[in-house]
Amino acid sequence: MSSDDLALMAHLMRRAGFGATRDELEAYVANGYEATVEDLLHPRDRGNLPDDVIRRYHVAADENLSIGTVKWMYRMITTRCPLEEKLTLFWHGLFATSYFKGNQARTQMNQFNTFRRHALGSFRDLLVQLSRDPAMIFWLDNNDNHAGAINENYGRELLELFSMGEGNYTEEDVKECARAFTGWTIGNVDYMTAKGLKDSFSPYGRIAWHYEYVPDDHDDGQKTFLGETGRFNGEDAVDIIVRQPATAQFISRRLFQFFTADEVDEEGEKVVEAMVQAYFDSGYEIRCVLRALFTSPYFKSEQARFARVKAPVELVVGAARLSGSYREPTLDIDAVQAGATFMGQAIGRPPDVSGWNEGDEWLDGGTVMERVNFAAKEIGDVSKPGIRAIIDRLTTDNDGVLSPGDLVDRCLDLLGPLPVSEETRDSLTSHVAEHGDLHLAGRRQGGESEQRVGELLGLIAATPEFQFA
Amino acid sequence: MSTHPATKTFSLEYVKTIGMISAGGSGVGGRGFNNPVGLDVSSDGRIFVVNRTQIRVCICNMDEEFLGDFASGLGSENGQLHLPTAMAFDSQDRLYVTDEMTHRVSIFDTEGNFLGKWGEQGDGDGQLNGPSGIEFDSEDNAYVVDQHNHRVQKYSRDGDYLLQWGEFGDGDGQLNLPWGIGVDADDNVYVADWRNDRIQKFSSDGRFLASYGESGDGDGQFNRPADVAVDRDGYMYVADWENQRVQVLDSDGVFQLQLRGQATLSQWADDFFAANPDEGEPRSRSNLTPSMPPHLDTPYHAASQSESLFWEPICVTLDRQGRLYVTESRRHRFQVYQRT
Repeated sequence: MSSDDLALMAHLMRRAGFGATRDELEAYVANGYEATVEDLLHPRDRGNLPDDVIRRYHVAADENLSIGTVKWMYRMITTRCPLEEKLTLFWHGLFATSYFKGNQARTQMNQFNTFRRHALGSFRDLLVQLSRDPAMIFWLDNNDNHAGAINENYGRELLELFSMGEGNYTEEDVKECARAFTGWTIGNVDYMTAKGLKDSFSPYGRIAWHYEYVPDDHDDGQKTFLGETGRFNGEDAVDIIVRQPATAQFISRRLFQFFTADEVDEEGEKVVEAMVQAYFDSGYEIRCVLRALFTSPYFKSEQARFARVKAPVELVVGAARLSGSYREPTLDIDAVQAGATFMGQAIGRPPDVSGWNEGDEWLDGGTVMERVNFAAKEIGDVSKPGIRAIIDRLTTDNDGVLSPGDLVDRCLDLLGPLPVSEETRDSLTSHVAEHGDLHLAGRRQGGESEQRVGELLGLIAATPEFQFA
Repeated sequence: MSTHPATKTFSLEYVKTIGMISAGGSGVGGRGFNNPVGLDVSSDGRIFVVNRTQIRVCICNMDEEFLGDFASGLGSENGQLHLPTAMAFDSQDRLYVTDEMTHRVSIFDTEGNFLGKWGEQGDGDGQLNGPSGIEFDSEDNAYVVDQHNHRVQKYSRDGDYLLQWGEFGDGDGQLNLPWGIGVDADDNVYVADWRNDRIQKFSSDGRFLASYGESGDGDGQFNRPADVAVDRDGYMYVADWENQRVQVLDSDGVFQLQLRGQATLSQWADDFFAANPDEGEPRSRSNLTPSMPPHLDTPYHAASQSESLFWEPICVTLDRQGRLYVTESRRHRFQVYQRT
């Protein structure tokens, strides 16, 4: 198994997932790159911590946002199909809906489930379901979009932020789009609005919302939308939207930026064009668009690696997967969610309808400290099963005797492989050298030699290089 | 949906709903419950309810008077609870509460005074790893479900270890994350074998006697049964948690009926809406039992959207009058039924 193969596979799993342990990487490499991509694109045998086990322990799961979102954290940490969860996170960022307005955790969890269910399928189906999603309806006021008295909010964001992008439609298109979605609302809208706006649990807890179509409130008149004329309803509007070249460009570009690089350079434009082609060839299948991306030479290139700052959720979930934590329900899971929140990415609470600002904006003085502390604590803990697996591997190297340089190189390899600058490597090696060679043979669990490894792993997790995917 | 009698000899009548969510955020706020997980009735008819969120034991009665609370606030000190899971009275009105975080059983009197405790984390004799269901036999021996050790342990009422049975697996006598427990008039023990989707019956010394149910949502099938209670005639009342219903089987395991829940407004809920007409008025115009789109057409989602249905029935309790109390952790209430 070549180090190049391992490095490439590690890159794929950082981007299409949340990173991978060495055992997982070796299995993926044995499977082959293209076959692994196909497995990621066709999720099955997920193996994640089951919902019922989580709900038995966290009895209020779904009823308030924090406990609801830890369910998703467990899923991201334990799934064997990480692309599905990564894409769900992507859709959550793109179709950003916040808890703060409806105060409806169950409904928001249902929205995440909708994103997951349609994550890799037809973009057309996803947009239809998005338009029927009660959390989105309430978030963008489509419950106030009536025949004869339109509210443009959803129609506008559907075009601007969710599908085509600014400059590709007219103000008249916005109005006509809104007309097409009149009558698309939530059931018991008056009662649900009263409860939502008051954040009322009383008397019997939340009542989850459901979509309702009210024919009498739908404007069934003729509309001209994006150059086509007819008595369009919402599904017709989506059909027209997904046929637009601008939509193919928009969604391909956003996927490229999320999975590959913040900026689309000249070479990147060629990949985007291939993704656009796959979008139309496949009938708008996201799975096919991503296949074009992940198998492109650009995505596999050295240039693409470690070129994106890990988003907070990527960082905390990746650290937890590496350490092997949270395989069973525990109150400690709150620390994972809280960690991401303190780093600037509160699941279920994006800052506004345009989602989170990705890229370098994740890093500032305060968030860097949170990121470093979280990762170092998680990965420096020698009691965690994933870290013990790393120590076991180190023990088999040279009969468990490692010079400071060897120890640093092996740990960098097992945590990535993670390339670091000479300066970083020298700094790590100097620190380890203070106590000479490491002798792991005959080590005691949690003893001094293991703690030295844990300390080094924590230091590596605190390096600037570890912040990148 | 309410009841579906399968025979002429067994039926249950809905009596009333008691409870609503208690006020306040993380603090404790007077009348109400917050994710109740266990319920039992003292010899004088008072109803004790232990809450998983806003942790405390609440006391009320069938007239819906809120009588007070104790063990308030999260903690691990004597008299405090951390992750309470279930509770039961012995014959002397001493209340035993299990706690899966502290791995112990705490004992209180009916005034809320702390009387004692037992248990520590482990898998040795008498040690516990996530205690959940608890019930007493006619001699005041306690049977405690030791969920993560996949076994049942029997203690004296003072916590002296007596014996144990069970191990992980799905064969006869084996268990997979068991949860609730019941004892019949002959001191046979019934265990809600949660992840095996069945109820197992044992003698009081742990000898396997019978198994009832299998995975599914049909009559007599279970999806993660959380609790079981047995009346004097041997009828088993099962909190079929993931199917969001209660099923009743006869002593041979033959299906009798199912309850899906038919909650009405409790007095406390009525009072709430009287004080909050901005919610009460639109509620009166609402369809509170909507039909579900296909992707949400599951018992869980239906329960989450329909106020009258059981939502996560977690505990079934019988009192001395044969009334059935179904505690719903997600609706912050319990529904009462009476055998007719």
